[in-house]
Amino acid sequence: MSTLVNLEQVEKSFALPGGQEYLALKGIDLQIHQGEFVALIGHSGCGKSTLLNMVAGLSLPTGGIVALDGQTITAPGPDRMVVFQHYSLLPWLTVRQNIALAVNTVLRNYSPAERQQIIEEHIDLVGLRHAADKLPAQLSGGMKQRVAIARALALRPKVLLLDEPFGALDALTRGNLQEQLMRICEEHQMTTIMVTHDVDEAVLLSDRVVMLTNGPGSQIGNILNIDIPRPRRRLEVVNHPSYYSYRSEIIYFLNQQKRIKQWRARKAAVIARHGLEKINLDIGFVPLTACAPLVVAQEKGFFAKHGLEEVNLVRETSWRGIQDGISGGYLDAAQMPAGMPVWMSLGGGDNPPQPVVTALTLTRNGNAITLHKRFYEKGIHTLGQLKAHILDSPSQQLTFGVVHPSSMHNLLLRYWLAAGGIHPDRDVTLKTLPPAQMVANLTAGNIDGYCVGEPWNLRAALEGSGFTVATDLEIWLGHPGKVLGVREDWAKAYPNTHIALVKALLEACRYCEDPAHQEEIRELLSQRAYLSTDKSYIHLGDPHRITCDLDTPMREYAHHQFFLGAGNRPSRTEHLWMMTQMARWGDLPFPRNWVEILERVCQVGVFSTAARELGIDVSYQRQPIQLFDGIPFQGEDPVAYLNSLSIKHDIYMAEVALDRRPVLL
Amino acid sequence: MTATLSSPASKSRTAKVNLAKYRDQVLPPLVGIIGFLLVWQLCASTNLVRLPGPWDVWMDERSRYLILHPWYRNSDLDQGLLRQTLASLQRVAIGYCSAGLVGIAVGILVGSSVWINRALDPIFQFLRMVAPLAWVPIALAALQRNEPAALFVIFITSIWPILINTAVGVQQIPEDYINVSKVLKLSKMDFFFKVLLPSALPYMFTGLRIGIGLSWLAIIAAEIVMSGVPGIGFFIWDAYQQNYVTEIIVAVIYIGAVGLLLDRLMALLQSKIASR
Repeated sequence: MSTLVNLEQVEKSFALPGGQEYLALKGIDLQIHQGEFVALIGHSGCGKSTLLNMVAGLSLPTGGIVALDGQTITAPGPDRMVVFQHYSLLPWLTVRQNIALAVNTVLRNYSPAERQQIIEEHIDLVGLRHAADKLPAQLSGGMKQRVAIARALALRPKVLLLDEPFGALDALTRGNLQEQLMRICEEHQMTTIMVTHDVDEAVLLSDRVVMLTNGPGSQIGNILNIDIPRPRRRLEVVNHPSYYSYRSEIIYFLNQQKRIKQWRARKAAVIARHGLEKINLDIGFVPLTACAPLVVAQEKGFFAKHGLEEVNLVRETSWRGIQDGISGGYLDAAQMPAGMPVWMSLGGGDNPPQPVVTALTLTRNGNAITLHKRFYEKGIHTLGQLKAHILDSPSQQLTFGVVHPSSMHNLLLRYWLAAGGIHPDRDVTLKTLPPAQMVANLTAGNIDGYCVGEPWNLRAALEGSGFTVATDLEIWLGHPGKVLGVREDWAKAYPNTHIALVKALLEACRYCEDPAHQEEIRELLSQRAYLSTDKSYIHLGDPHRITCDLDTPMREYAHHQFFLGAGNRPSRTEHLWMMTQMARWGDLPFPRNWVEILERVCQVGVFSTAARELGIDVSYQRQPIQLFDGIPFQGEDPVAYLNSLSIKHDIYMAEVALDRRPVLL
Repeated sequence: MTATLSSPASKSRTAKVNLAKYRDQVLPPLVGIIGFLLVWQLCASTNLVRLPGPWDVWMDERSRYLILHPWYRNSDLDQGLLRQTLASLQRVAIGYCSAGLVGIAVGILVGSSVWINRALDPIFQFLRMVAPLAWVPIALAALQRNEPAALFVIFITSIWPILINTAVGVQQIPEDYINVSKVLKLSKMDFFFKVLLPSALPYMFTGLRIGIGLSWLAIIAAEIVMSGVPGIGFFIWDAYQQNYVTEIIVAVIYIGAVGLLLDRLMALLQSKIASR
């Protein structure tokens, strides 16, 4: 496929009335191939129409190059025909005359008979034979837009440019026109660029969706390849397995843009007080039982007690939101899955390495693996039985949900499957979903099981849609669940704040661990601002009273441990284990400089200082990790450990350079 | 279907519809006019205003003659009212048409160039505010003779709404149409005739309709001041000088009727040409 439209470092600024300049777009690099359908999506005012107009030549870039077929675009022309949102038909001309005006002007070197034929052909193409002699005012919106499309196509443009073509139409008409447009574009191999607001429209029509960030200085934030085979049908596309993940990817992006805008609007200056560098903190959390220490520190005044008087808890719906919030710099600190500091520091998810440090393990345990209840009914109650089931039905690929590549759920589920002889990437499919969507997806049959933190295992069991096949009591008793994570540059800029934060949260952890406070904490967590769920789903840990079974108690509830003194210390051995597991499944290279990375990620000094100031005994002795399969993890020679494993991905090693990069906002 | 089924029943229904239409459309204005005449007559006969009532106008010899003989001619200045009106209308036609031509041409020019618009707009806005009567002495001083001066007053009065509306019409061509013509690379000629003119036409007609009303107002004023030319304005002035109040009233009715007719004519033209 050859490049037809080429945008290189395109920049556009407008002069404002006050003599200032508004930078609408900057650094836009995009290559569009012959026959490709590309959608531009973004919030209002992000410059997507401006971008389209620059390809049309209706406005020219103030920097960079926009080229068609290698020729720089300097003026509008009929080889880049535009279909505008408001149809732009001339109201004093009939349908035929409107198309004829374009054809007779542009295709001057054709004979009149040929032109006439082209005009009639395109009237038929959009099915407007019966309305050919009507004026636009006599047509409905959908018909008008069909005329505009016919007019554009009649000129045989190299590129078809659509500026929110269906934005002003009702949903039914829009759907029909989308199908027609898709059919025409496919038949004519038309290269098309479309500006749209509509996420479903973008996924349905496009080969690629280009997402623009908010202005000023909008950039391409992300490009999503829509790998759904053509021809596509509007009603069938939604059944494609990837449809909803494409859709949620775009929606996540758009929501994120909106939040960044809000955050920019209320961005407050750093407030220093009480000898702390910063006392106004935005701390991210995901609504799970494990967020209890953060909620308690806020509600019971531990933050304020340690001088952090203006703490704002920011609820994120997914770990991806936490990851973007930390790397984007709009969260000061966050509750994180235990593996996230290492994962982000090593450049997980194809991002540049972003050093993130942890000085506190917030919770241990609290996770479990849930399977759909039909497995229970079939008598599949153990890992071995699951393995046998997978061997018996090779045609049926099971899908499991995990919450984030770096979370313990992912690592533990993979470890658990692999220990049972099931390869987590080949024998089953793993899918990333936000925690709160697990139960719904399980009930809908999109996934066959998941590994997630409470209350979602308990909830599936209580609602009767699934059962807990394994808890962390059976995989790794006392594994780290959530940790406190901050950017390394943040920790360096605000060292005393960091210690105060750890102190406040450590005290909150101690408060959570006291059984006398359980009722109060359940009450707090169930509030709308936090979990916003029924109290009966929230349990902090009474292993005897609560079970996660469909009928009779089958296994013990994996209760959260919030406070263990030394157990809250960030453990290098544990983080090393996570590092080996990420390398084991090919998610990340194993860093040759693992000692340095562990040293930087685990801020043991901060923890020790905080614990000492609170008078908590944290005397500690290093021990190997005990897992359920009996293979101890010593942490002395990780490479030898990785080599000793039988089920694994190809492991590669690399030197990971942790340069502190400035946070870009 | 309905054509083949035209039975007496459907005929009577149409008659009923016509009757209803007559009742709703024609009756109210008729009642209004008769009521007005009655009130007028009442005011006059009770001496509330010192004007002859409608009955007096009809009974007065001179005015009855005028009403019944609109087309007589004794001399240049002693003619039937229809002839007087036609003389005035002729002047209006010349002045108004030239105002229309110049106004539309300059309006397009002003509308299509921001620079020219900025240069001329203050002058236009200033001149627009000068009342028709104020132009009379200037026109007389500049042109020396009555006839061209009267034409000039009509011209200068009616040109502003035409010019300004045309300019606005050209400025208001929707951005979309301009973009389309840019993308299609329409020639200047095509753009003018196929996009600019049809797009600005409704505005031009609004200007023309306001203009014709103004020019009719202006001619009366001009003729009253410029004595010695045949025309309905001068006729009124002459009658006033000789204290024939009933004659004035008849002439005023002519003026109102002609003004109404002219406006209706333009409205008809507008709906025929510029409607879409």
